[in-house]
Amino acid sequence: MSRGAPWLTALRFGFPPLRGLAPLFALLALWQLIDPQGSPYFPPPSAWWNGLAGLARSGRLFAALGATLTTFTLAIALACVIGGLLGLLIGRSRAARRALGPLLEFCRGLPPPVIVPVGVLVLGYVESLKLVIVVLVAVWPILLNTASATAALSELLGEVSQTMRLGRLATLAKIVVPSAVPAFLVGVRGAVPLAIIITLLVEMLTSLPGIGSLIVISQRQFHSAEVYGLLVVVGLVGFVLNGAFVVIEGALLSRWPPRASFAQGG
Amino acid sequence: MRDDRFNVPGALTLLAFLAAWEAAVRFGVVTFAYLPAPSAIALAFVAIVRSGELFAATVHTLRSIVIGWVLAGLIGGLLGLVFGLSAFARRYALASLEVLRPLPAIAFLPVALLLFNFSLTTELVVMIYASIWPMFVNTMGGIANVAARLHDVSLTLKLTPLQTLVKVLLPAAAPAILVGLRLCLGTTLVMAIIAEMIGNPHGLGYAVVNALMAIQPEQMFAYVLFIGVLAIGLNFCLILAARRLLPVYGREAMSHV
Repeated sequence: MSRGAPWLTALRFGFPPLRGLAPLFALLALWQLIDPQGSPYFPPPSAWWNGLAGLARSGRLFAALGATLTTFTLAIALACVIGGLLGLLIGRSRAARRALGPLLEFCRGLPPPVIVPVGVLVLGYVESLKLVIVVLVAVWPILLNTASATAALSELLGEVSQTMRLGRLATLAKIVVPSAVPAFLVGVRGAVPLAIIITLLVEMLTSLPGIGSLIVISQRQFHSAEVYGLLVVVGLVGFVLNGAFVVIEGALLSRWPPRASFAQGG
Repeated sequence: MRDDRFNVPGALTLLAFLAAWEAAVRFGVVTFAYLPAPSAIALAFVAIVRSGELFAATVHTLRSIVIGWVLAGLIGGLLGLVFGLSAFARRYALASLEVLRPLPAIAFLPVALLLFNFSLTTELVVMIYASIWPMFVNTMGGIANVAARLHDVSLTLKLTPLQTLVKVLLPAAAPAILVGLRLCLGTTLVMAIIAEMIGNPHGLGYAVVNALMAIQPEQMFAYVLFIGVLAIGLNFCLILAARRLLPVYGREAMSHV
């Protein structure tokens, strides 16, 4: 059915022509050439590299990167499972939607960063703190999108399951879940950047190990080259993680009818 | 799914939730060290309202949000306009922006701190960096995806480029631009709180962290809940304003996002 590898298609549509990177590289090259000597605030890109190399040699860079990526990956995985399951449950039951409505609306509206101090206060500075907070934040877009897509399931599809005399389980597996997947993925798409930001914020606020605390330490010691270098690292991490999700989403959705990919919950 | 009647079960659940919370803390069912009861939070809320701390913090945060929103909306909107109108720009510069876009804005905080210290500038830099993107993407998409038929209309009517922009393209892209403005406001609020927590010791974000450091759980929860109400209120105001100002587009753009 699909021509060529689906992930390749996703990649091609997801990104504009690469020659468009020229202005960015020109800017960096110009920065390097002008090299504002003596300014501690604008170290040239070559100095960023040296700063990163120093951090890498001491082993701090990869330890921090590992800690941040572990938290992020575990948190997204847990949020997908919890958000998906709760979303299905809430979406299937009209009574639950109505009863939990105001509470869910409030949680949706609550700006995610305020969850961090609440978590710190209630849980204390424990090892699992980072993970719990990031899951708590990342679960909302997934849960709400899944719930509203499940709730908006067309009556026609409900009649299909009656006509085919599908049991409860079969209806869930063959009709409800597949029709909620595109909206679920939209939810995950929203959760990915949020989870990155909140992971970094927790690390910055609590100094638990990770890229966030590393960058703050460098900043406090006025190692500006390291700060810029770590900014690039965070940028790469953000780019790769978001890109990876676009690829996975494209590959999954290539098995769905095209219209489904536009179904947005919310 | 929307129901206009008053949501009785919803309100009851909310009350039951608060009552269970209160009871759990009173009778020591939960073992968290610093979880205050809702009644204690309410008292703390009254106290911060009386002392004027809440008002001062809210004024600071709202002012940052308005400045950040206007600037980010302008920058993002103009960038979106340029990239939406010009295929050349999209071909030769868009990839640069697409690389910068997923960069988590919070990583800019240490850089901004290095350059501007603990200040409003630091706060605004981070806010604006984060919130130009939703505006940029929506404006660009809205302008670039205007139906080819509408371009034919402006050719037929012999409109000048400026007239085409004002009379054809912008109205056609208005719903997308409104969505961009709304997302932009949401992002400014979130980033203002983050920036105040780390980069600028003023406003509601700082108030929360400050209460945390001073181990005043009641006060902290009062601020957190107030921030939630404020966020929902802002969003609601925007929806109302959009419906009133742009009845035709507002409904469409604001109903299901």
